[in-house]
Parts: sequence; structure tokens; C-alpha cells
Amino acid sequence: MGSPCHFALFELQPSFRLDLEQLAVRYRELARQVHPDRFADASERDQRLALEQSASLNEAYRVLKNAPQRARYLLALSGPELPLEVTVQDPGFLMQQMHWREELEDLQGSANVSGVATFKRRLKVAQDELNESFAVCWDDPLRREEAERLMRRMQFLDKLSHEVRQLEERLDD
Amino acid sequence: MAYSEKVIDHYENPRNVGKMDAEDPSVGTGMVGAPACGDVMRLQIKVNESGVIEDAKFKTYGCGSAIASSSLATEWMKGKTLDEAETIKNTQLAEELALPPVKIHCSVLAEDAIKAAVRDYKQKKGLL
Repeated sequence: MGSPCHFALFELQPSFRLDLEQLAVRYRELARQVHPDRFADASERDQRLALEQSASLNEAYRVLKNAPQRARYLLALSGPELPLEVTVQDPGFLMQQMHWREELEDLQGSANVSGVATFKRRLKVAQDELNESFAVCWDDPLRREEAERLMRRMQFLDKLSHEVRQLEERLDD
Repeated sequence: MAYSEKVIDHYENPRNVGKMDAEDPSVGTGMVGAPACGDVMRLQIKVNESGVIEDAKFKTYGCGSAIASSSLATEWMKGKTLDEAETIKNTQLAEELALPPVKIHCSVLAEDAIKAAVRDYKQKKGLL
């Protein structure tokens, strides 16, 4: 049995631009409908089906709500699946990443809360720009290479924003 | 996850952390990254006129295994010729550090950094 596309589960067309709030609302609705608790008295077959649907729904939501994961999924819909882990050689971008890491390290060392907030805003701007660039090129077969590079950059920034959040939590304590 | 003693040793006492002048014609720079982990690795070599790597430096932002892999890579590269350095395999790094299977990609990243640094040097010298 081939599983339906993540977008189809939400009755959406494959697209990078997505209203995440709407997606969350729709997810909660659908999750209620297939929640295994509702099938406690159903046949074994229906119970199993509900469980499978619930699992695919969770998986689809997990992928779609995250920009780099959604980007990677979209590229896999229109071409070969791209491995999660690869070595990237994108010197200018990596150099900038290294500078940002150094900055974050300094902010951590000095426990600079307002500095972290500024850093976070800058990171968000960079992520928005990256998302915008990806949105306009991902479905153009001639720009696939560029779309792949942008998706990899999104992965780096996503990881960096996780680290910023962790640092914020540590500084909050 | 438990790290091996060798990983911890390299993580706590990384060898050859630092930076060389990337514009220096005798320096080769390898800059690589692993997007899903967000690891970024810079590995640099200084090569003398007989093609021997005199010095190696690295800077890695990443997990303990990535730091240990690049630290060990710089240790192994020193004193080797470019051709010898290029034969260093990720499996050797992983074995020496006793990396668990989920961390093998960290050693792959280090191997790719070695190759990138050697290639950068060769390009500078018109050897490619």
C-alpha cells in the first residue's frame, strides 16, 4: 500500500508556502478524527487502520511544519529523495556559519541576554530570506541544484535556531 | 550516549585548534559542513616545498565526535605528503576513536575536510 502524499492528507497541493497556523488547526481536527481512543470498541481491523492513519498524520505534520523538512520533502516529490546527511561544500555560507557560531559562543560566555535576542532576530531574517528564495525556485527543474543548496542552508539555520533556543533557556534559569 | 575515552580526550584536549591565513599560497583550506547536524568544520594545512604537510589546524563547531574526528585528522596529517594524507579514510578515524554507528558520518565529514584542504592547496599551486 503506497502512503498518500503528506500534503494530500491535509487536502493541500504541494507547495512550500504554507500557513502554519491553519496547518496546526487542521492537524488537530484530523488527529481527533483518527485518534485510536475513538476506535476502542471498533473491530481489530479498524483499530489497526486508525493507528496507521494516526501515525501517517503525525509524520506528515512533523515534516510539513518544519521549513527544511518540508523543502526536502518537496524536492523528493519531484525527483530522487535527498539523503538527510551529506557533506556540503558551500564555502561562503559555511564561513558565515562559522562566524555566527563564534558570535553565539561569545554571547554564551558573557551571558548576554539582549545580545542573544538581537542574534535571534538576525537569524530569523536570514531564515525568512532563505525560505523566500526557496519558494520561488523549488518547482523549476532547471533550478533544482540551487533549490537543493538552499534546502541545505535551511537545515543549518534550523539547527542553529535550536541552539539559540537552548541558550535562551539556559540564560533564563 | 557514551563517548569513548579517546573521543573525550580529543574533545577535552583538542589538538591543533586554530587558524591559518587562507590567502597564504602554502596553505590549503577545507571548509565542509553537515547540514542535518549543523556541524561546520574548517581544516587547514601548511605544506612545504617538498609537498610535506608541516602543520595542520582545525576549528569545528559540532558534537564531540566531529571535534574528535577533525582533531585526530590534523594529528595524522602532520608529516605526511599530500598523497599520503589523501589516503586517510573515515573508517580509520572511526575505528581509532571507536565511534558508534550513528556517529560515523562525523568521521566522513573529517575525511571530506582533508580532501577539500588538499584540493584547495593543489588548486592554488596549479596542480589540478
